[in-house]
Amino acid sequence: MSERHWRSRLRRFVRPFAGLAVATLAMTSPAFAAPEAIRIGIATAGGGDPVTWGGSPGSVARVNNWLEEEFKPSGIKVEWLFFKGAGPAVNEALSNRQIDFAYQGDLPSIVGRANGLQTKLLMVSGARNNLYLVTPPQSDIHAIKDLKGRTVSIFRGTNGHLVAINVLAASGLAERDVKGVNLDTGSAQAALVSHGVDAAFGGYEWFQVRDKGLAKVVYSTQGQDPAFTRQAALLVRSDFEKSNPAEVQRVVDVFVKAAKWASEENNRAALFDIWARSGTPVASWKAEFDGQPLAQRNSPLIDPFIAARYKAVVQDALKLKLIRREVTVDDWLDARYLDVALKKQGLQGYWTPADANGRVPAAARPLAQR
Amino acid sequence: MLILSRPAAAAVAVATQAERPPLARPAARPRAASGAPRAFAQALLPWLLPLALLALWFAGAARGWISSQVLPPPAYVWETLRDLVTSGDLRMHAGASFMRVGVGFVAGTTIGLVLGAAMGLSRRVEACLLPTFNALVQIPVLAWLPFVLLLVGIGEPLKYILIAKAAMVPVALNTLQGFRQTPAALREVGEAFGYTRRQQVLEIVLPHALPTLFTGVRLGFTKAWLSLVVVELVASSEGLGYLIVYGRQLFQLDLVMAAVVVVGAIGYAIDRLLDLLERRLNRHRRSAA
Repeated sequence: MSERHWRSRLRRFVRPFAGLAVATLAMTSPAFAAPEAIRIGIATAGGGDPVTWGGSPGSVARVNNWLEEEFKPSGIKVEWLFFKGAGPAVNEALSNRQIDFAYQGDLPSIVGRANGLQTKLLMVSGARNNLYLVTPPQSDIHAIKDLKGRTVSIFRGTNGHLVAINVLAASGLAERDVKGVNLDTGSAQAALVSHGVDAAFGGYEWFQVRDKGLAKVVYSTQGQDPAFTRQAALLVRSDFEKSNPAEVQRVVDVFVKAAKWASEENNRAALFDIWARSGTPVASWKAEFDGQPLAQRNSPLIDPFIAARYKAVVQDALKLKLIRREVTVDDWLDARYLDVALKKQGLQGYWTPADANGRVPAAARPLAQR
Repeated sequence: MLILSRPAAAAVAVATQAERPPLARPAARPRAASGAPRAFAQALLPWLLPLALLALWFAGAARGWISSQVLPPPAYVWETLRDLVTSGDLRMHAGASFMRVGVGFVAGTTIGLVLGAAMGLSRRVEACLLPTFNALVQIPVLAWLPFVLLLVGIGEPLKYILIAKAAMVPVALNTLQGFRQTPAALREVGEAFGYTRRQQVLEIVLPHALPTLFTGVRLGFTKAWLSLVVVELVASSEGLGYLIVYGRQLFQLDLVMAAVVVVGAIGYAIDRLLDLLERRLNRHRRSAA
């Protein structure tokens, strides 16, 4: 075989790769006009087919394909990515530019920000998530104060960890007054059922265990100080936002529409059915949302309560050394897109902003209440 | 040996390979014929790959090939490592891990030796145990977790058991192998001398099995050390594995990298130590023979 032949073969082999490299460069270039796809990362493993998640008005848009319909005429694909590694994995994906938008809880997003992730918080999506203390059914623990000296499962480094410490403090206990055990959700359930721990802090996932008769709820943040609740929000990568403001607006528009639908009490049963597709049964959602107005839980507003909560989480996280430097909150919350969406859809005044303590002004009560 | 099932045979094959890693000790005995520069070059060879990787890391961090949050610059990792040392955190975490691996490894090795010896000495015991043993060891540590959790709760014993299980498997298989490879000639000599069964085992089978057995122990330690992260994933608030998990949780990948460096360094150091011991043992045996 001649040398020439070899060279041509080599060229033929190399050429597609060179083309690929150029294409990759073009795709990642920030000056590119419209994105080819909009990638949304959700900080939960999700469930169902197609995969969806519960507890957030965002999943209403997901199961109804509202985003896909919005972007189809523009030829933009919508990709939903679910992360079993939850908030931390979403932070990694944001950092690697593998996603553009993120649905995340308050602490993980603050942890991301404290480590230099450039994001904007666009709207709230799933506020006032409750925390519970559960024990085995025959336990002699009846209140938080009974936890003194007992073995308690706390998932360290999550927003449940922060709230648990505040809940303990409200009953005059410090974290060292209990024997804390660091367990993730699945292990905590196995440990409680096998009496490996005396009690566990956790979220709505415990209702399924309770409804099987394997646990009872001893304490709930429902009806308590709203400062004990956990928030989740929609974030966008700052450089994506800068180069694609029109697309960001359209995404926010769709999620605001979903929030409106999810705030209608008439849709309560239908909403829980949608959420149940993720694998968490309707009964759990009924219990988690019991006696709470949907318009309060699913409000997208970045109101004084939300700002106060995010600031408090920053301080709590600093105290526990979950973050190593203080981060600002006010310049992170970016309600511009939300305001435009509210105006466009005639929804100004539909939701009532809560004050820093989470209270809704008395005059506005009728709307916020059921 | 024909009775050894395929997975067991594979494990033994791996073990014998590990016994003589071609690259691991090039600098150990420089040939008398080669000059000093050549010995120097030879000693340098093992460092080429790690140094190249380190250079790649430096360059990648400096040029921003990878997000600095995901792969922090080496200087930052070094700083974190120093903080860990000066704050005493590293001693606390490493101490917790050593305790776990120590207890688990000793327990697992003991059980592995007994089990392997029992199977090696009696075909009947082997027939009873080996198939079940081979089936059970195929199940990964994570799959055992919920079950062991139900049995012993979430305390330290849980971690000891999982580490012991990891260490026990190669020790048992290598012990079995070692006990079965006594050359027929040696056995016949023993018979000719009218050795009792006890003498046969103590003076012929055991000494001959020793190198294989020790390889099993070394492999057992590697497995025990490797299972650390998985084990400390659950119900831990301290330990090097926990540090890796927690660092990832808090998006402090510098902490993860620092812990990875420490885990790697300690694991490597102990493996070298065991290797040295093994070689000394072999030399001793050879000179005694």
